[in-house]
Amino acid sequence: MATTTATITISSTDLLTDELALSTTCTLTKTTTATGIEDTTGLNRKKITSTAKGTASGQVTLYTADDFAAIPYLYIKNLATTAGHRIYVYDDTTSGDPLQFQLDAGDWGFIPMHGDKTYKAYATNNPTSIEFMVMGQDQ
Amino acid sequence: MATTTAAVTLTSDLLSDNMSVSASTTCMKAGTTADGLDQMEYGYLDLVTGDEYDLIAATPTATKASKLYLKNHSTDETYFIAVTQNAQAIGKLYGGDWMFIPADFHDAAGDIAITANGGTNKICYALFHEGTALVTT
Repeated sequence: MATTTATITISSTDLLTDELALSTTCTLTKTTTATGIEDTTGLNRKKITSTAKGTASGQVTLYTADDFAAIPYLYIKNLATTAGHRIYVYDDTTSGDPLQFQLDAGDWGFIPMHGDKTYKAYATNNPTSIEFMVMGQDQ
Repeated sequence: MATTTAAVTLTSDLLSDNMSVSASTTCMKAGTTADGLDQMEYGYLDLVTGDEYDLIAATPTATKASKLYLKNHSTDETYFIAVTQNAQAIGKLYGGDWMFIPADFHDAAGDIAITANGGTNKICYALFHEGTALVTT
């Protein structure tokens, strides 16, 4: 059985009076079991060339609805280095394409998704590079 | 300026070669690399099953940067919380899982709500932000 882990560390020495040091690890498992996940899209790096949602092309599809069984884990990172060069992630399945997350330059996110919605990304600048990966159980 | 760093490491032996992906970011105010997020909320909750609660009652100011860390500390892997933003599902955390999102609080309704399922879930959260619109009593 494969073992896949995700560790987050949040730290600051000057945000609070005392030092902030928060760290936790989770093992990614098939839903409601202790069995490790078996599938991944692998790490992707793509250029987003669309500056709006709903246009014909240029957005990057991060995940297609129901591609994986619940719960797929999404890792995303905005590879831009200029502040203000944002990436917007939206739900392309729900009416109105609601925005879900926004990543400024250098930001990353890790999201255990429902798995039943398609996620796409556009950016404020053309092009903006994004790195992403989905881990879970293919179906 | 406060400096808060968030780092992630993903490791796996799923592939032929071992995978190790790391990323780190300094949590900055919107549109700048010179000024860090300087406000924080932190909480730990027992959340009984069934009802939906606003996890963040005071809505972070729209168009400003916010980072949300959320973890389900439940040890029963069948327990989970559904996470919504502005009534849209954005994630589901089973016991032991965590999420970290650069949140898009793009309007006044863009707060975060959670619903517990399976039993009483133990939830830890931290919100790093640069200002909130406080709710009038």
